[in-house]
Amino acid sequence: MLPAMEFLIKDEKVFSGGLSCRGCGWSLLVRHLSSILGENTVYVVPASCFSIIAGPYPLNEIKGTIVHTIFAAAPATATGIRHTLDRQGRKDTNVVILAGDGGTFDIGFQALSGAASRGENLIYLVNNNGAYMNTGIQTSSATPYGAVTTTNPNSNFKKKFPKDLMGIIAAHNIPYAATASLAFMEDYRAKIKKAKEMEGFRLLMVDGPCPPGHKVEPANSIQVARLAVESNLYPLFEVEYQNYKVNYRPTKQLPATECMKLQGRFKHLFKEENKHLLEETQKVTDYNWRRLLALEKLSVEFVL
Amino acid sequence: MNNTETSTKKKYPRHTEKVMKGNFAAAEAAKICKAGFIPAYPITPQTTIVEELAEKVGSGEMDAAYVNMDSEHSVFAAAMGSALAGERVFTATSGQGLFYAHEVLHAIAHFRLPMVVCNVGRPSIPWNIWSDQSDSLSQRDTGWIQFYGESSQEVLDTIIQSYILSEKLEIPVFVVLDAFYQSHTSENVWIPDQDLVNEFLPPKQLKGTEINPDKPIAVGGLVQPEHYGKFNYDFWIDINRVENLTNQIGEDFYQKFGRKYQAVEAININKDTKIILVTISSITTTAKGVIQHHPEVGILKIRLFHPFPKNSILEALKDVANDTLLVAIERNFMGDKVGAMMQELREAFYGERYFKMIDVFTGQGGKDVPPITIEKIIYKAKNNPEDVIWIDME
Ligand SMILES: Cc1ncc(C[n+]2csc(CCOP(=O)(O)OP(=O)(O)O)c2C)c(N)n1
Ligand SMILES: [Mg+2]
Repeated sequence: MLPAMEFLIKDEKVFSGGLSCRGCGWSLLVRHLSSILGENTVYVVPASCFSIIAGPYPLNEIKGTIVHTIFAAAPATATGIRHTLDRQGRKDTNVVILAGDGGTFDIGFQALSGAASRGENLIYLVNNNGAYMNTGIQTSSATPYGAVTTTNPNSNFKKKFPKDLMGIIAAHNIPYAATASLAFMEDYRAKIKKAKEMEGFRLLMVDGPCPPGHKVEPANSIQVARLAVESNLYPLFEVEYQNYKVNYRPTKQLPATECMKLQGRFKHLFKEENKHLLEETQKVTDYNWRRLLALEKLSVEFVL
Repeated sequence: MNNTETSTKKKYPRHTEKVMKGNFAAAEAAKICKAGFIPAYPITPQTTIVEELAEKVGSGEMDAAYVNMDSEHSVFAAAMGSALAGERVFTATSGQGLFYAHEVLHAIAHFRLPMVVCNVGRPSIPWNIWSDQSDSLSQRDTGWIQFYGESSQEVLDTIIQSYILSEKLEIPVFVVLDAFYQSHTSENVWIPDQDLVNEFLPPKQLKGTEINPDKPIAVGGLVQPEHYGKFNYDFWIDINRVENLTNQIGEDFYQKFGRKYQAVEAININKDTKIILVTISSITTTAKGVIQHHPEVGILKIRLFHPFPKNSILEALKDVANDTLLVAIERNFMGDKVGAMMQELREAFYGERYFKMIDVFTGQGGKDVPPITIEKIIYKAKNNPEDVIWIDME
């Protein structure tokens, strides 16, 4: 049997010479996204690593329109663009927000909630690399438990679990929200296609590899992303009008430590005196997974 | 539209006279200017502007996309996105809303996006919702042009003129009106017929610099130090054109509509004038009444506040004697030793003329400035002209 080829980019929309670090999630996810969405797309980019990767003035690394905007207001900027393109008869143009976790979980949270509540016809892609990476690895509310960042250094590592953005966004009762991983390319690509065909507010959250931020060897970046899914640290699922569907069930769930041990940001947790913290992480991971399965069972058909 | 003509000869042909509050005049202006995008968020005393616009759009009287946003930060960001795509944008805010949007104000100006926004002036918390210009004046350095309207008629007319100015220069414009004294006070307003407005302000033309999915570009990406100054230089060139253009557009407007507006208005300013009150907004009207009894007192009304119309001011004062006393009236507090008006006046006269000037803080947080207060100011200016005077602090 031939290996699956569904993840090959046939119509490249990103120019070479992008400014990302080696092993960065941003570049890969944008290449796939843009190859599927096509050139009739406006990307709205709040402050993030992608502000830089997309190229300095007057360059543009994507075949498509890019609007760089302020950190807190990408969904609002996109709202203005969307309504105006619609009035110009351009309902077919995709308007897509490309934001980081900081721009989504924290500073852009209100604008995100506003756009989702209004049901704006936008696609929101969040590259969740678990910290403010562009400014040098500071803690965001998406930073995982136990991670060291420059604002949670050493033994002052992050001692809170990240907030459940998917749960919050699902509660907005939007047509589509999904998680995706760059180690599961067919799944990611299928979700982009699905989102593209839908109308209304759609959100994709990608687990974003960041070698310098996670202290991972660039060559291991996809491997770590795969282990995150196989250990249920980053489950793949989609939510349509609050109905959850798990897209991937590991045949044999790996311990969270398998994924964490490849990441220098968790190194201190492997010291003998922090053993209980690793156990806590495992417990919360299992809790999240069980809860996800329960939510999936809860499914109630949405009728309008 | 109902064109009932009551009198045989109207003061302004092709107009309808109505009694309306300042906020409704502002909303009416947005309609006749054919604004196509209105992001909205409520704040007293601006609310009736966005409510009225919601009504106009909802009833089909106005063809625009109206969006209830989640904050003023988002309002201005949406306005920015829409203007980037080429729409004629209108919105309104006040006080905390304007402060909250500060970051976006810079972005809109530096992206060189045309739009007109009404601000109904009120100061900062501790809570106060009444007339004060500290909100808009504190946004002076964001790059927005600022006009202050004396009457509802002037607000409406200035919005029309501002779209011309804004779209010509690609610089956003604030039209500021006074809380309650204007926003919620009814006056007679002559509303120009739609076709008259269309002749003066045609529907927005795309310039080719807008985002266009057919011709993909990147907007707003990282600008290196080699280039950044060039953007500011170009901006500076155009900021220098604002004053003349304001006067020219005011003249064109006069030809078409019969009402004359310039960057400044000089009232009773001549070689015999001993004291000049420098005012903005509705205090001007009160002062106009008071100086009827003081032939030696004139008024310099600043309509275009930013960029400060230095040449028009020098021109207006060219015949006055050097010992004329200038009184800056400040319904603002900038956390500084003098108010915003005094700062600007000093800069305008530097190296040009020397006048003794005194700074008067009054009407703060909406305190009424009735004729008696203006009388007091004139009395103090004559008898005890301290450098800085706070009215009614005892
Ligand atoms: C209002 C504001 N505050 C702070 C910043 C500084 N800033 C720029 S990018 C960035 C980090 C972005 O983090 P995230 O959204 O997670 O994206 P990433 O860089 O990780 O891709 C920060 C804090 C800013 N540009 N604007
Ligand atoms: Mg991040």
